[in-house]
Amino acid sequence: MSVSAPLRSPNVQPPPPAPVLQKPSSLLAATSDWAVSLGCFAPQIFEYNGSAVVAMVGKNCFAIASDRRLGVQLQMIATDFQRVFKVHDKLYIGLSGLATDAQTLWVSHILLDCYQRLVFRHKLYQLREERDMKPQTFASLVSALLYEKRFGPYFCQPVIAGLGDNNEPFICTMDCIGAKELAEDFVVSGTASESLYGACESMYKPNMEPEELFETISQALQASVDRDCLAGYGAYVLIVTPTEVQERVVKGRMD
Amino acid sequence: MARFDPYENNGGTCVAVAGADYCVVAADTRLSVGYSILSRDHSKIAQLGSVLKFDVQQFRAEKCVLASSGFQGDIKALQKNLAAKELVYEHNHNKKMSCPAMAQLLSNTLYYKRFFPYYAFNVLGGLDSQGKGCVFTYDAVGSYERTGYSAQGTGAALMMPVLDNQLKSPSPLLLPARDAVTPLSESEAVDLVKDVFASATERDIYTGDRLEIVVINSSGTHRECIELRKD
Repeated sequence: MSVSAPLRSPNVQPPPPAPVLQKPSSLLAATSDWAVSLGCFAPQIFEYNGSAVVAMVGKNCFAIASDRRLGVQLQMIATDFQRVFKVHDKLYIGLSGLATDAQTLWVSHILLDCYQRLVFRHKLYQLREERDMKPQTFASLVSALLYEKRFGPYFCQPVIAGLGDNNEPFICTMDCIGAKELAEDFVVSGTASESLYGACESMYKPNMEPEELFETISQALQASVDRDCLAGYGAYVLIVTPTEVQERVVKGRMD
Repeated sequence: MARFDPYENNGGTCVAVAGADYCVVAADTRLSVGYSILSRDHSKIAQLGSVLKFDVQQFRAEKCVLASSGFQGDIKALQKNLAAKELVYEHNHNKKMSCPAMAQLLSNTLYYKRFFPYYAFNVLGGLDSQGKGCVFTYDAVGSYERTGYSAQGTGAALMMPVLDNQLKSPSPLLLPARDAVTPLSESEAVDLVKDVFASATERDIYTGDRLEIVVINSSGTHRECIELRKD
């Protein structure tokens, strides 16, 4: 079998494009070209690795859960992938979307980079303020950080869940450029988001105790990822109450 | 430049659930194009064989109900086509078509237009020749499968995980073949269908207004309507 194009090493620049005549509407043309290229790239990038993240509010507690699959399109790469990260004991962020890419260097570690920048900013805040960040503040920080890259975004859609003052649960999601969406029941993101909306809308009820919340979020996530080829392989579920944090690994259909 | 575009999506969701001796077929009654609602009271459910209703008394026991979402223009044409073919069948064989036979006919009708398809996503529900509930689910070009339950249309992605969770039918690959019908009673199945529609209506803009439920059992077909969100 022959390779039709020579393999290109990552630091070799492609040849410069041939000069073209500038048309009067070149700015408009360039803008629409950019919009078209981003428009057809973005959905593919979000679905490149596959993911499902969901957070639910209970009575003085919340749960955040994610699937464990890391894939490259339809191929499975890892089956124990963590998408939910701890910011501090009562604040977590789940990042759905593009995770990491072993082959293509230019998008590598975008999700992790996004997370590390968030940890860095939170540590600076801790040093200056000598306290942990409130979930609302952290959500604004994430939003600002994402909007900084308005025209070359991080291809991930965060879910933020935390306990604020008086252990008031807070959950929120945003798009890849930081438009916040606050909710008082549940938030979802990832390739399985449509299924998750349906499942959560049917299964959620207000003021659940931690154990019932765990059962509900696990059933909703598991039912949803079983209808999504790109997400699945069990789930990580975190139940956060004012006094303790439980992390559980749920086994579902392992295929 | 204007281009001929013969297809439209009018939205809506269809669900069918098969039980041991009944079948529930349901669909919402909203008809939309884009962000507009054209009708809040448009039925997506067709009782196949209803053309013969006035004709012969013995043909009254309809055993087949078709619910379709997609392009309502194509759906109307498809229903008309099916009704004509069914009439010919009834005259040729002097009996009413069984539900599995209708399922095969629908598949053939859809595949006949393989390269200019009917933009219709169908769920066919009814009772088979043993009186057991059956659900057939289709794609637009006639690929079909007999299942225990199914959802089609704009709200299908929201409903399917919930139906899986509540009804979980055995794998169709198992040998010997297991019964796909759901263990629920008729009233439980109707309640489940109402629940999933109420939930999908919350998040799907194309589903809403009214829910039309048709229950087929040995005593015939019964139609029931409930209200859904109108926003």
